[in-house]
Amino acid sequence: MSTSTTQGSAASTEMEREVVITRVFDVPREMVFAAWTDAKQLERWWGPKDFTNPVCECDARVGGKWNIVMRQWTGAEYPCGGVYREIVPPERLAFTNNATDPAGNVVIEGFTQVDFAEHAGGKTLLTLTTRAKVFDEKMLAALAGMHAGWSQSLDKLAAEVAAK
Amino acid sequence: MYLIIRLYNRVVKYAMTDSLTATFAALADPTRRAILARLADGEASVTELAQPFAMSMPAVSRHLKVLERAGLIARGRDAQFRPCRLEAGALKSASDWLEHYSRFWTESFDRLDVHLREMKRQKEKEHEHKHNAR
Repeated sequence: MSTSTTQGSAASTEMEREVVITRVFDVPREMVFAAWTDAKQLERWWGPKDFTNPVCECDARVGGKWNIVMRQWTGAEYPCGGVYREIVPPERLAFTNNATDPAGNVVIEGFTQVDFAEHAGGKTLLTLTTRAKVFDEKMLAALAGMHAGWSQSLDKLAAEVAAK
Repeated sequence: MYLIIRLYNRVVKYAMTDSLTATFAALADPTRRAILARLADGEASVTELAQPFAMSMPAVSRHLKVLERAGLIARGRDAQFRPCRLEAGALKSASDWLEHYSRFWTESFDRLDVHLREMKRQKEKEHEHKHNAR
């Protein structure tokens, strides 16, 4: 459940969140697993659309490291990486995942587990569970108009309540 | 508010569940939204919050607990009054974070899907070639 915590001053605000995402892929799980552990394949799909991965290395062994540099079309680079904690082909993969912004600030410290289950018709049900500590102050610094955005939301909230 | 509800709908569409469900569940209740709107004007005690709602103190306390667990409000340490205040950043950060993080994975998975279909086609082609060679 939500474990949102706010600690200390505004400058050190942190949050820890858990997200579970599921997706069915139309291929057997051995293939999906390989796409996560073979650097050549990982490089082709990791990251949001319009991102490329000029650096993509993964040493898929327990204790091995992975390291990816994502490049946005603007040229901004977002390095991320971590250490593999559990590898059970073709069932499960668990690793730490850290991300830094283009200025080198750590913005996410996370732990991710990926489960690959057989799904009817030779398909794969992938369940990704990721817990992340987010250093949102740094992350939000990149987002312009934060305060403006928030007060607008509050205005809408107030208007909505007033309309009842 | 509208933005957040819309974001939630989109997240549901991606068949995604997460801890923020607690935040959205907290926001789904009109009394709790009214409490938040009241707190937008400044901090208030439980008694002050209970007044406009014709609700018992325990009922208001229950709503406050939900809001507190969802990170939407914080409560003072004063044992007797424990004034409540809005955690403005929590809601905004939550939606920004969710936006970033869910987009990262769903877009990655879109690309993974395309990649795997391509791999499957290649395998089938190879299989066909072998078959024809026989």
